[in-house]
This record gives sequence, structure tokens and C-alpha cells, in this order.
Amino acid sequence: MISTFKGLNRVLITGSLLAIALLYFFPILIKSSNNPSFYLQVVSVAVCSAILTISLNICMGYGGLLSLMHTGMQMVGGYAVAILAVKQGWNGWLALVASAVIGAIFAILVILISLRATYLYFGMITLAVNLIAMEAVRHGGELTGGYNGLFGVFAPGIPSGMMSAEGFYRVMITILILAYVVQRNLIFSGFGRNTMALRESSETATALGISPNMHRVKVFSVSGALAGLAGGLLSIQIGYAVADIGDLNNGLIFFVGLFLGGVGTLAGPVLGVALVAVIDFTIRGTGQYRTLVLGSILLLTMIILPRGIVGTYRASRYGSPRSREVMPGEADNYHLDIAVKNVTKGEVLLEAKDVVKHFGGVHAVDGISVQFKAGEVHGIIGPNGSGKSTLISALTRYHELTSGSVTLLGVEADKKPFKVARDGVTRVFQIPHLFERVSVLDNVLTGMYRRDKYSIFDAIFRTPRYLKANSRSVAEAKALLSLAGMLGMEELAAGSISHGQKRLLEVIRAVATEPKILILDEPATGLTQDEMHSLTSLIRTLAAGGMCVVLIEHNVAFLMDLADIVTVIQSGKVIAEGTPQAVQKDERVLEAYLGNTDFSKELA
Amino acid sequence: MSLQIWIDGLFAGSVFAIIALSMTIVYQPTRIMNFAQGEGFILGAALGYQLVGVWKWPLIQSLVVLVIAAALMGFIMERMVMLPVQLSGSKFAWIIATLAAAMIFQSAFNIKYVNVTFSYFDLIEKDISIFGAKLSVQKLLVILMMIIVFIANDQFLKRTLWGRSIRAIAHNPDTSTILGIPTKPVIKLAFITGTIVIALVGFLASPVIIVAPAAGLFFTIQGFTAAIIGGVGSPKGAVVGGLMIGILDSVVRSWLGGTWGLFSTFFVLAVILILKPNGFFGKRVEGR
Repeated sequence: MISTFKGLNRVLITGSLLAIALLYFFPILIKSSNNPSFYLQVVSVAVCSAILTISLNICMGYGGLLSLMHTGMQMVGGYAVAILAVKQGWNGWLALVASAVIGAIFAILVILISLRATYLYFGMITLAVNLIAMEAVRHGGELTGGYNGLFGVFAPGIPSGMMSAEGFYRVMITILILAYVVQRNLIFSGFGRNTMALRESSETATALGISPNMHRVKVFSVSGALAGLAGGLLSIQIGYAVADIGDLNNGLIFFVGLFLGGVGTLAGPVLGVALVAVIDFTIRGTGQYRTLVLGSILLLTMIILPRGIVGTYRASRYGSPRSREVMPGEADNYHLDIAVKNVTKGEVLLEAKDVVKHFGGVHAVDGISVQFKAGEVHGIIGPNGSGKSTLISALTRYHELTSGSVTLLGVEADKKPFKVARDGVTRVFQIPHLFERVSVLDNVLTGMYRRDKYSIFDAIFRTPRYLKANSRSVAEAKALLSLAGMLGMEELAAGSISHGQKRLLEVIRAVATEPKILILDEPATGLTQDEMHSLTSLIRTLAAGGMCVVLIEHNVAFLMDLADIVTVIQSGKVIAEGTPQAVQKDERVLEAYLGNTDFSKELA
Repeated sequence: MSLQIWIDGLFAGSVFAIIALSMTIVYQPTRIMNFAQGEGFILGAALGYQLVGVWKWPLIQSLVVLVIAAALMGFIMERMVMLPVQLSGSKFAWIIATLAAAMIFQSAFNIKYVNVTFSYFDLIEKDISIFGAKLSVQKLLVILMMIIVFIANDQFLKRTLWGRSIRAIAHNPDTSTILGIPTKPVIKLAFITGTIVIALVGFLASPVIIVAPAAGLFFTIQGFTAAIIGGVGSPKGAVVGGLMIGILDSVVRSWLGGTWGLFSTFFVLAVILILKPNGFFGKRVEGR
């Protein structure tokens, strides 16, 4: 089975290389045809579309950002080249670089004004921006040439002069390959993992210390740079820049390509655009029916192949990743230093004083003071609705406090939840919050991103710094996985593993953020006996290394066995605190739970 | 500033408000902002041109045909949009599907009508004079229609079983299905009524404003803008947003010239989205 898998992969790689070679030698192949320049033009425009669709894929497919302004970005890039090269007399290559930069700036400006917007509204803002940009260009007077646009854009030569159409065609192919590599390198790096984490769940990404806004700005600017570049190339290729390039109708071809190939897959955009270009070429004689045909293909694709070609292949028996066999003794290769740095056992890490959280008239948390100390397992119990989860959300700043204070290592805790996470408090939610469409290994690696000291550029160019950091992270992630007995499952999609494994993976991912305080909200729910044992030993190892593990649990036996100290909460107030033995005998606890016979029996 | 500008703004605003209302009707049970909605406007305009203008049919007959055609379009649109949305797991399926549907209808109109703008004579060629400002009966009809659609929609949602079903589905489609509410027929009905409403306003307004076969997306976007300013999913918001951009456009247009009207609309949209990210009457929504 594995051999067929590899064989198929080899066929795919060979096929891609052949396609690249074919594209490079395309001008020679068509030389003898009756209209070589026309064919070259068709393929060149398709190449521009492919670059733009890659940009759209980064933004929509991986980033989950609904952009309806990609045609506008393309238009802006085109005008950047036309204005700078034709009117200002810049060197053409420099103008091309400028088109990418201007595209990025345009994207940054748009996303900065729309950070507060939810995803639907973000889409609408981009739509409005697109229209404004087109209107602005049409009424830009001398600068943009008004409705007629700017003409006379030509391919820059090396070092100067004018390049032949074939020469520039090869440049464009090279840029397309580079764009693909940029996309691939970004997606496989920490940048890409964070991007996908945000797409799957902004809340969870925040819990891992990712700043949603900052990261969205980065994703959108990368996408804008690529789109601007695609526009610059297009204006050189067709020889002019005009406002109609920004028309959303022209964007249909990118959407068709993206969906046909597969949204959120690496090869999808290129393959999809290639197919659409072939279809478009075949129906070129139909004139006004073109949009009708393309639109129908798009709808049919969504109905027949909802995941696109590449997406369907990835989900199939052949293309989907599987668990590998673990060599005996492999786990010994991965060593892990679990000890928390710069804390001494018993040191107070987090202190909450008189924390109050009211939801209107509901006093969910009504003046709770609690201390979390290094190296202890701190259990929090209380009946349903007693305010346990609200307390945790308040401490990690997911809820604003009504009153009271939270200090972290002696300093007032930051008000933003992702900052609290960065300062060493990581929480695991009650319901599994994995990035389901991302692999098991990447889920763990997403938790590690704070340690990655490389920039976007290191990731794009795969510098030694990136390679070193990446291989270290992967080794550490595997060590963590082996700690939970999940070695060999790295490549599986997180959505495909069992419930218990998901819970364990989530704990591991949280550990990967190197927290000082790890908050687990009912981690034992739905675990099998074996998984429970793995979890227990994992928690003990972590606490022994100096971490404070906060356990919110209903499973009293599990909790009493593990905890060093237990806090009992009822109706938003602490009614008892102490060692498990002391709490179990505490008069107030028994008294408070007298009406709740099940609970008091369990405690006794 | 002359009263005429305000009256013109009120008329344009009513057109946008009805478009936004028809979008709200579709949005409520589906949580889809339908990019193909504006094509219904074009259908109304095209049929008005064809039936009343070219073939000189009587009004009632034309209206009956219009309603049937619009219902059919709504039915087809529902299939074109909801089928891909239900089958595709993608979060973006709705936007791509509605965009594709818009393109398909638009090119169909383009193929049928080359170099035509849909305007026929006024149904009722009569002006009313208000303090020296003119208001044609045609425009008055549109303003009245806006009020009627708003009240009817409001009463329908509040008073009837179907209306209450729509509100339930808007809150939670899965729970509604469990409770035995026929989600799918309700969605079909929403698409059909939404299209009939927008086609009617297209029919009524096209003698007064210039409508080209390819202008569907433009009206869609105006409707979106109105709906977003007011708050997506809120009928009250649709009316307020529509009137706001209509009047703003008219005032700015007379003051600074044509294109600035459009600019000012989108500028206000951007400002409102920054200050009040969910519009005036909207709740925080995540779309589909």
C-alpha cells in the first residue's frame, strides 16, 4: 500500500516537472503555428491569473479572509507599473518590485480599517474598496489616464531596453514558480500554521498566544504583494493598464480556478487556473456566452466536486496521509526538557484577588481569591453552574472583570487574552478546539510558534536559521507526541483521530506553548481507561517540572488522586480550600452539598 | 438646498431600501447575502421594457407575467445557490455560488439585450407639485411600495406562522429542523418572495432611472451598502440604510457632481463599519 502511495507521488512530481519544462519550451513549440504571438498571449495571461489565484488562495483558502478586492489589487499593481515605468521613467524591474510593495500597502490600509469587522462585513468592505478604487482610477485625470487608462507599458530588458515577448514570458513562468514556492514555504512554516489556526478558530489561536489582528494584517499584506505583482506583470503583458481590470466580473476566472483546483490546497490554484484557461481557450469563439459558460462550470464544480480536484484527491484513499509504523526505539531519539524555566517550586505564579464577574443580574463569579503556585496540581471543583469556567475565562481575560485584580508573576495581567497566553497561561477548552483540517504534528507545532525566532522572509527563503529552528521544533513536537503515546500519527488530519486522542493532543499542544500555568477544563471527559492513565502520568510529569496544572473536573476520583490542593466553588464563591483529604472532610463542603446527595457521597 | 434634491434622494433611497429589504428577506432564513439579487431588479426592468414598452401590453397583464417570471427566477436562483452551498463544505460557498448565479443571469440579459437601456414611458405620466418641487406619480409609487413592503414584511414575520418559522430559522436552522419547521420550503419561499419584491421595484423604477442589462451587480452592491449600514438582517436597518444612502447620494451629487455621490456612499459605509461594525440595527453575525 505504502509503495503504491509513493509510486503515485513520484508520478505526480514527474508530471509537474514535465509541465514546467513544457511551459518553458512552449514558445519554441508554437513557433511553426500560424499565430504564435496569440498563443503566447493566452498562456501569459493565464500565468498572471495563476499568480493572482495563489494570492487569493493564501488569503481565502488558508487565511479564511473573504476578499472581493483581488481584482482591484491587480488593477492597482498594473497602474503602479504603468505610472512608474511609463510616466516616471523608472526602470521596469524596479517598477515591478514597486507594484508588489504598493499592492501590499494597499492591502494593509484596507485591513487596518476593517479589523473590527467580522468575516461577512470584511468581504463587503473589500467589495466597497474595490469599487472606490476603480472609480478613483477612472477619475484620476492625467495620472491614471481616466477612462482610457495608460498605454505603452512594455517589458523591461536586461539591463535596459526592451525584452522580447518570449523572454518576458519565461520571466513570468519563473515568477509563477517562485510564487508557488513562496506559498508552499509560507504554509509549511510557523506563519502558515498560525494562518490556518486563525482560519479554524480565532478563539483557540488566541489561547495559544497568536495575535489575531497582527497576523491577519501579515497574511493580507503577503496576499496583496502577490496580487500587486500579478497586476504589474499583466499590465506589461497586455501593454496597458485600465480600470476595468479591477472589475469583479474579471474576478470570476480566479474564483472558478480556485474552486476547480481546490481551495486551501497548494497546487489547487495553479491546476485550476490551467484548466480554466484551457476551457476558456476552447470556448473563445462564443464571445458573449463566455461568462455564461464559466459561471455554469463554477456552479457545477461546486455541486460535483465540492473540494475541487486537489482537495478531492487529498481526501481520497490515495492522496490522504496515513499513520506510519513507528520503529522500535524511535521514541528514544527525541528528548525533551519539560522543566519550566525561571520558576521555583511553590512560587506564586498567578494571584487573583476578589475577582467578580456579573452578567447583568447573574453573579457568576462573586468575589473569588485564589493562588496558583509553581509545581502543584490545583483542582477546582463545584457543581454545574457554580462559576468554574467563568472564573477561568475571567482569569485568562476572555471575560472582562466586573471588579477585582489578577496578577501574573507579581505584575498586573495584561488585558488582552493572547498576551496572557504569551505570558505563560495556556488554557484548554472544555470542548475539543483542535485545528481539525490541519495535521496532528502541525497542531503541536502551532503551539510552539512563540519559540520560532525566524521572520516571514526566513520562512519564504528557507534560510539556515529557519531550517534549524524548524527541525528543532519538529523534534520537540515528536517528543511531546511520544509522551502521549501518539508517535506515528503525525501526518493524520487532527479531525480524523479518536475523541480521547484529540483531548490528549490538545493538552500536548497547550504544553508546547511552554506555559507556566496550564489550565485544563474537564480534560478527562470521555477518555478511555488507557487514555486516562496517559493523561495522569503526563500531568504528573508536568507538575514535577515546575508547571502549575489547574484542573477543572467533575470526575472527583480522578481529581482527588492528582491534586495537591483543591478549591471548592459554589454560587460564585469559594467555600473551601485545602488538600484533597482536608476538603473531603470539610464541614462546610459537606454542609453546602447536603442537598446534592450524589455530590456529597462522591466527596465522602 | 432645494426641496427637489431631497425628494429625488427620497425616491432613490426608497429604491435602495426595497432592494435591501428583498435581500433581508433572503438573508433571514439563509444567512446568505445574495449577489444575484440585483438580477431580479434587471428582470423587472427588462420585462417592463419588453411588455409595456415594446409589446404595449396592458398593465395588469404585464404585472401578472412579471410576478410569475420573478417567482420562477427566485425558484431557479434558490437551486443555483443552495445546492452548492449544501454540498460544499466551504465557508465561502455561498459567496461563490451567488456570484456565479449573478454572472449567469447577467450574461443572459447581455445576450438578449445588446445596447439597450430599459426605459419605457411612465405608467402614469403625472406630476404632483409640493412647494414648487416636482414629484412624479411614478416616483411616489416607489416610495409607497417601500412603505408597504416594510410593513407587510414586518407584520408577516410577527403575525404568521411562516413568519415566526423564518425568525426561528434565522436564529438556529438545526434546532428549527428538530422542532419540525420545514426549513427547506421556507428558504425556497424566501428566495421567491425576495425576487418578486425586487423585480417589482425594478419594474416601477426603471422608467425613471437608467437601467442597463449589466447593471444588476451595481444594484446588488447598493442594496448591500444599505443593508450593511443599517445592519444585516434587520428590515428596519434596510430602510434606514437605503434612505440614508439615497439622500446622501442625491445631496452630494448636486453639490459636488456625479461621481462624488458614489464616493460619499462608500465612504460613509467605511466609516460606519469602523465605528459601528454591525451597522445601526444589526446584531453581531458571522454569516454562514
